[in-house]
Amino acid sequence: MTKHPTRRGVTAGLALGTLAIPGLGIAAARAQAKPIKIALIAPLSGPWARQGQLMRMGAEMALEEINQKGGIQKLGGAKLELVVADAGDSTEKAKNAAQRLLSQEPDLVGGTGAWLSSFTLSVTEVTERAQLPWLTLSYSDAITNRGFKFVFQTSPTADHQAAETIPTVLKLAEAATGKRPKTIGIIQDNTASPVSFGKQLRDGGLDKAGLKAVVDQVFTPPLSDATPLVDKVRSAKPDFLMLLTSAMPDCKLILEKLDEFKLGKGKIPLIGNGAPFGSPELLKTIGPELLEGLLFSVADWPMKGQEEFIERFKKRTGEPWLTQDSLTAYGDVWIFKEALERAGAADKLKVAEAIRGLNLTEGPAAACFPGPIKFDEKGRRVDVPMIFAQWQKGVPITVYPTDRAQAEPFWLKA
Amino acid sequence: MMPFTATDFLQALAAGILVGGAYALMCIGLGIIFGSMRVINFAQGDFLMLGMYAAFYLTTGFGVLAFLGPYGGPIVAAFLAGPLVFALGWVLHRFIVARVTGAGVAQIEGAGAYGQIIVTLGISLILQNGGLILFGSTPVGIRTPMSRQSWEIGDVLLNQARVVSFLVAVALAAGVYLFLSHTRLGKGLRAAADNPQAAIYMGIDVERAHRIAWSLGVGITAIAGGLVATFQTFQPYSGFDFVIVMYAGVVLGGLGSNFGAFWGGLLIGIVQQMSTLILPYQLQNTAIFVVFLLIIFLRPQGMFGRLSERT
Repeated sequence: MTKHPTRRGVTAGLALGTLAIPGLGIAAARAQAKPIKIALIAPLSGPWARQGQLMRMGAEMALEEINQKGGIQKLGGAKLELVVADAGDSTEKAKNAAQRLLSQEPDLVGGTGAWLSSFTLSVTEVTERAQLPWLTLSYSDAITNRGFKFVFQTSPTADHQAAETIPTVLKLAEAATGKRPKTIGIIQDNTASPVSFGKQLRDGGLDKAGLKAVVDQVFTPPLSDATPLVDKVRSAKPDFLMLLTSAMPDCKLILEKLDEFKLGKGKIPLIGNGAPFGSPELLKTIGPELLEGLLFSVADWPMKGQEEFIERFKKRTGEPWLTQDSLTAYGDVWIFKEALERAGAADKLKVAEAIRGLNLTEGPAAACFPGPIKFDEKGRRVDVPMIFAQWQKGVPITVYPTDRAQAEPFWLKA
Repeated sequence: MMPFTATDFLQALAAGILVGGAYALMCIGLGIIFGSMRVINFAQGDFLMLGMYAAFYLTTGFGVLAFLGPYGGPIVAAFLAGPLVFALGWVLHRFIVARVTGAGVAQIEGAGAYGQIIVTLGISLILQNGGLILFGSTPVGIRTPMSRQSWEIGDVLLNQARVVSFLVAVALAAGVYLFLSHTRLGKGLRAAADNPQAAIYMGIDVERAHRIAWSLGVGITAIAGGLVATFQTFQPYSGFDFVIVMYAGVVLGGLGSNFGAFWGGLLIGIVQQMSTLILPYQLQNTAIFVVFLLIIFLRPQGMFGRLSERT
């Protein structure tokens, strides 16, 4: 047997050596402080996988930046570590993911997720029992209506969004046309967030605004065809149409059908709610001309003052623009960083206590959300203004609130 | 007073027939496999999804067929999805499906049905998750002006993409019918389905017949997928949305009857769309199953099934 070093042997040795260098680095960091684990539960498979992927992009970017800037100062520069679990395509899978994650990672200090309100409702049943502080961008008011102590909703609740959206829309319409709309059409799916939004409208919200619903349809996603839905809109001709759909493929079917029935391009102004209305894939599948002027209210959207961050995100991910999902996940990780600094311990109860006491108006966490980072006793943020974005020349940009808008809104008229 | 106008009624009926056309084609694909092999293929929806992606990459994705324009390209792509998935089906049958189907397993308990369920479920999971790795999770769609244009008959609008898909479905259904009833190969398939043992004695290669039936079944469903892709967005999990509809259609039409599978699929489309005239939209799919249960109650063998075929 030859004793000469073979080429393969040398290559393997070099490879092992290369692997060992970062390994040594990690060992050194471990000697300093144990990494602090934060969970992200998001749909990474199934119909909402894209949204989960966007959340992951935002969370990972925040994590990298925090770690590069020296980690958690109060904890000896401890690094943050993201533990990701797939919420899948059903509430059962989401709950199972939470259970598995919590039993595998007993030292988690907090987490964020799980995008779809229906998923968040089931995930937080598990995290609440474990007293794990949980941030969520989900909209449904049911999430923070259960008396839970460890769930913090960074988005305004859907009923609050409904109460804010309608008056703003009416104001905008009146200013543009000189006439206050009298009738509304509502098309919504039956997932938790649109249900909360629609409930507020039907339980007095519309009466208060002096609106009459001439079309009011609720469907179970995914939609097979939008013809009968849009046919009802054609017959009733509402002054404007409120679309409450949580999945992009349903948005596409409805928007194309409206155009086919010659109700698009401003014939019946469209108002949406939720981030799917601003997704890059919507633009890719239906093109800019059908989207022009579509106005949608959303919990969070890139605002004036974030230009440098938006550019950084676009460069890092190759995404054409930043959306709510990445933005809030990024912000959520920064909220944990702030809470950990205040708590001074990698302890979930202390972190939860620190989140309850937050009142942030500046810094990277606060810059990600409209209004201050301050939670009430229910776990809802206080004094949150509603954001409106509008498709203008192929990009959905923030048009409201005025002080953080990137452009002026306009009311599309045919 | 009726809760809807005559236009609403005709519009919903038109939508039902057009949507039903695509369902009918999917059902024929599944019907051939079930009718010839008696295999419950859980992966059928995922072959539909493969058809969607094949059509997508041929037009919008890699743009191989872009030269045919936004009208011709998507339709040709949908047709080409058929042979592509047919070839994949052939390979899958040769190496995997054949191990749990056909004469080789006829003697074991349940005639291999347990193995078939697990194998097709496994193929389904691999296709879905493999699709997620290969194609990504972002929903995509084929961009064609047909999906937002219509032909008008009075006040009733007929979506162009759906009309094309309906016509293709009818033509293919007729083709399959002629193939099965008038060609030697087709007759062989039916013989292998009716009595595999006797078919072997008559000199029919049952294994080959099954392979053709399986590949043809997934190929036809893939064409249906390619057509659906012209008006709907999809991602690797989209196939599953159609599986229930496909099975309901095939059972409704009568298990083993290809003619029945067509009418079963069409009826499902019509019930699904027309139920919205009187019922809340949310109950669309519930309406399908009410009709389904009603037909099964009154005619357990399905609309066009023969009782003897169920023994």
